[in-house]
Amino acid sequence: MALPLPQGLMPTEVAFLCEMEMLFTPPSDTVTPDHDAAITCMRNRKLRPACQPNLQGDTPALKPPHRAQMPLWLALLLKKQRRANIVPPAWLHPASLAEIIHHETNIDPQAFSPPPPPPTRAEGRTGRARPFQENIRSTREAPKPGDDPRLAPPFLPSCTADAPAGYLPYHWLELAEALLAHAADDVPQQAEVRALLRDLQEVRAAKMRGSTQSLEGGGGVVVLRGVGAMELAESRGFVLGVVDGVRKLGASAEATRRDEEANGGGGGRYGGGRGEFEDSDEEMEF
Amino acid sequence: MSYYDLDAILTDAEKVPCKFELDVPDLGYLDNNPSQALKAQTPVSLSLWLAELLALSSRTQSSNPEDSAPFLTLEMPKALSNEVVSALKADPRAVALRDQTHNMYGLATRMLDLFEEPELCAVLRRTFVTRAAETALHARKAGATDDVVRGEGFLSGLEEWERSLFRRAHDGNKACKEWMEGVKK
Repeated sequence: MALPLPQGLMPTEVAFLCEMEMLFTPPSDTVTPDHDAAITCMRNRKLRPACQPNLQGDTPALKPPHRAQMPLWLALLLKKQRRANIVPPAWLHPASLAEIIHHETNIDPQAFSPPPPPPTRAEGRTGRARPFQENIRSTREAPKPGDDPRLAPPFLPSCTADAPAGYLPYHWLELAEALLAHAADDVPQQAEVRALLRDLQEVRAAKMRGSTQSLEGGGGVVVLRGVGAMELAESRGFVLGVVDGVRKLGASAEATRRDEEANGGGGGRYGGGRGEFEDSDEEMEF
Repeated sequence: MSYYDLDAILTDAEKVPCKFELDVPDLGYLDNNPSQALKAQTPVSLSLWLAELLALSSRTQSSNPEDSAPFLTLEMPKALSNEVVSALKADPRAVALRDQTHNMYGLATRMLDLFEEPELCAVLRRTFVTRAAETALHARKAGATDDVVRGEGFLSGLEEWERSLFRRAHDGNKACKEWMEGVKK
């Protein structure tokens, strides 16, 4: 028997993946790489290194005046211990969110707001925002030739938490929710941000429902450019259900069309049942 | 489609109007007349699985497709009749498909396999897509607000495909909502 799990990632799994997003964190306490905090949390999260070998790595040393980049899960842990603050990403600012909502509702009411613009080539090559990756490669193994990490969207630094203001990164909803839940005092004007996020979520959910309308005519393709991971996890079942239903309804018409194409438009190959049916169809018109 | 798919089994049992092409002895009870043979061209309704078999198989042994004749001719069931199709053309959302038959689309795909009806196919596709968007809206709002009455009419008119679609859409929304409430912990 198949597992009773739905297709694709669950929202909780998406939120788990989102915890690897890199954030800037100005520490208020010195934390060295082998400090207890980092080690305990790595231990508590044994799952992470085991299931995703390229997600593990050394934590950067934290010295109070310098901001450091670290993954969300570590930043949240240090935040809970009051040893660090979190710099909210640029796109989470109310002005940026309002601009995105304006784009969604007025400028382009059909499509989703575009994802962050593509980065320069050098950025994609080296993975600037991935010091973990760099660390691993330099310390543990010499990089093989032709093995340099070439990242593709949505894993490019500019598609993640580094996204510029006015664009939503891939993990926007999860990241915003996590920051508002655990580091609300670091987010400026959090009440406004919350309200704008709710608006944005509703606008985009309505578009997701409407996106299946384009299947009506037959040749429509649902454009899901710029949709976030959590929204995908939420609507995957519905969108797949609609596409599957339309496919089943059009299956017989599609089979006929293919037959005609294969026969060059002639129906000469039909024998037996099919031919009889076309006859009886004509009889019924009398 | 699975062998144990209940919806497929129920679709097989849907009654389809048809007419026998020849007199059939001992089948008079289908026409409430058990003492006589069933006359040719009497309208009867048979289950889809039986009617389909009889309509597709030939009653003569000859291999020549020209002079082969089926046992009976099929007609469109009432759920796919002209009245229903024109109502669907006017406003897909206003028709309670469940009142027509529980497996509207399942039956329609079976009938479309047998008849070539591009127009019916287009109408059904438009109906399905339009109603799907409405279904998703209700799936998102279900349980969130108290205005059950507003959606009740539409939701009770959903047929089986749409019900499963509603369930999938609602499951996604529910999982997302559960995660969002659990973020704080």
